[in-house]
Amino acid sequence: MSEFFHQYFDFTIMGDHFSEILEGFLRNLLLFAVAVVLALLFGLFLALLRQLPGKKFMPLRGLTIAYIDVFRAIPLLIILFLISGGVPYLNFLPKDIRIPHWFGQPDPFWYAVVALTMVYGAYMAEVYRAGIEAVPGGQVEAARSLGMSHGQTMRHIVVPQAVTKIPAPMLNEMISLLKDTTLASVIAYSESLLLGREVLAETFNSSAVMLSGLMFLVVVLPLARLVDYLIKRNQGKITRGSHIEVA
Amino acid sequence: MRKTRLAALFAVLLLALASVAVAGCGGGSDSTSGGGGSETSGGGGGEPLSVGSDIPYPPFEQGKPGNYTGFDIELMEAIAEKIGRKAEFQDTSFETIFRDVQQGKFEAVISAATITDEREKAVDFSNPYYLSEQAVLVKEGSSIKSLEELEGKTVGVQQGTTGQELAKEEIGGAEIRPYPEGPDAVNALKSGTVEGVVIDAPVAQNAVEKSGGVEIAEKVPTEEEYGIAVGQGETELLEEINQGLKEVQEDGTYKKIYEKWFHLEPPKAIFSATHEAE
Repeated sequence: MSEFFHQYFDFTIMGDHFSEILEGFLRNLLLFAVAVVLALLFGLFLALLRQLPGKKFMPLRGLTIAYIDVFRAIPLLIILFLISGGVPYLNFLPKDIRIPHWFGQPDPFWYAVVALTMVYGAYMAEVYRAGIEAVPGGQVEAARSLGMSHGQTMRHIVVPQAVTKIPAPMLNEMISLLKDTTLASVIAYSESLLLGREVLAETFNSSAVMLSGLMFLVVVLPLARLVDYLIKRNQGKITRGSHIEVA
Repeated sequence: MRKTRLAALFAVLLLALASVAVAGCGGGSDSTSGGGGSETSGGGGGEPLSVGSDIPYPPFEQGKPGNYTGFDIELMEAIAEKIGRKAEFQDTSFETIFRDVQQGKFEAVISAATITDEREKAVDFSNPYYLSEQAVLVKEGSSIKSLEELEGKTVGVQQGTTGQELAKEEIGGAEIRPYPEGPDAVNALKSGTVEGVVIDAPVAQNAVEKSGGVEIAEKVPTEEEYGIAVGQGETELLEEINQGLKEVQEDGTYKKIYEKWFHLEPPKAIFSATHEAE
C-alpha cells in the first residue's frame, strides 16, 4: 500500500514538477477553448443543415446525417492520427495549411483543434437537434403562418428556445471535450499528460501523471455540479408545469 | 595477423580445457538439465552453457522456443563454440534475470543488458559486446547533415529513450516532440511535421530500409554498452567469455553477425572496448 502511495502520490515529485505540469494543463485549456467554440458553431451549423425542409435539400440533409453518423462512430483517437498523419501529405494545399503554425501554436495543436471540432461538432449537432425537436411543433406552424420563412423561423423562434433546453447535455459534451484534449499527447502536443509521462520516464514514478489528473478534477468537478444543478432546475420547471421561458 | 590469431586460439583452447577441468566447482552447473557426464569429452564438446535471455527483444533476441535467434543469440552461440561448449537458451523475465544468474539458475545472461553500476552490484559483466549508437534520421535529400544542424528545428524522438535525452542535451533551441512510439516519430518526419528524428541506430536503419524516403544523416555514439553477465565471482567463466568474444571479433564472425542483424557496419570502438568487472 505504501508503495502504491509512493508511486502515485509522491508529493516531492508533484512539487518539483508542479509548474511544468500546470503549464501543460494550461495548454489543455487553450486547446479546449479554441476547439469548444469551433465545435459549438460547427455543431449548430450541422444541426441546421439537418433541419432544412423540402425535397430540394434532401441530398444535403442526407450528407449531413452521413457525416454525423461517421464522425460519431470513428474513435477520436483514430481521427487524430489520421489528420495529423494525413493532412501534411495533401500537396495541393499550401504548406502553411498542411503544417500550420498559426498564432505561435505548433502544428499538433491545430491538428487536434481540427479533430476535436470535427468529432465534437457531430456530437453537439445531436444535442442541438434534441433541443430543436423539443420546441413544440405549434411554434413553427405559428411562425410560418405569420409569413416567416424557414430561416427566419429557425433564427427567431426555434433556435433561441432550443438553446435554453440544452445547457446540461451540452455542458456534458464540453466536459468530455476538455478531458479528450489529453489525447493530443499521442501526436506530441506538449499538454499535461505528455509532460507527466516525461516525468514518469525520468523518475519511474507516476505522481506527475496523477497531478495532471488532479488538475482536471479541480476544473471539471464544479462543472459537473453545475450540470446537475441545471438538470434539477429544468426538472423543477417541468414538474411545476410552467413553461420554459424564451431567452 | 595470422600468427596472433593462432596464438589467441591456442590461449582460448587452453582456457577452455582448464575450465572444463574445474567445471565441477562452477556455480551454475548444479541446476542445468543434463549437464553431467560430459566432463570427459574435453574442449570439443563440453557441457552445455546455460544462458538466460528475455525473449523477444528483436533484433537482439527473437524466435520461438528451441529455435531462438537474433544478434545476442547468434553471438552467444559463436562465443560458446569458441570455448568448446554449446549455448542453451532459457527465456526468462528481465526483472529477475540478474538475480537468477547470481543464484545459478543459468550460467550467463545475454539480453541486450546495459552495463550499469547498479547491476554490477549483483553480477559481473564481460567486455562490452555492443555499443549503442543513436542516429539522426532526416528526410531523403535534406540539407541537415548532423546533430548540431538540428539546432532551432523541430525534432521528433521516442518518449523516455536515450535519443530524447541526447536531443535535449545536445541540440540548442530545438522544439522536441516526444512521440509514444518510434514509428510515430518516423511518420512525422516523412510527413514533414518534424525535420529530424534522433533514435536508436538499428531502429533508424530499419526505417530507412522498410519505409524509405528517409536517410541517416549522422550516427552518434552514446555511453551505453551491452555486456554479458555472469554470477559474481565466476571469474573463470567470465575470462572464457571475454576471450571468446575477442576471438569472434578477430576472426570476423562478430562483424558478420552484426551486419546480418543490424544491416550496419559495427562501430570501430567495439573492437577495443574493455570493461573491468568489479
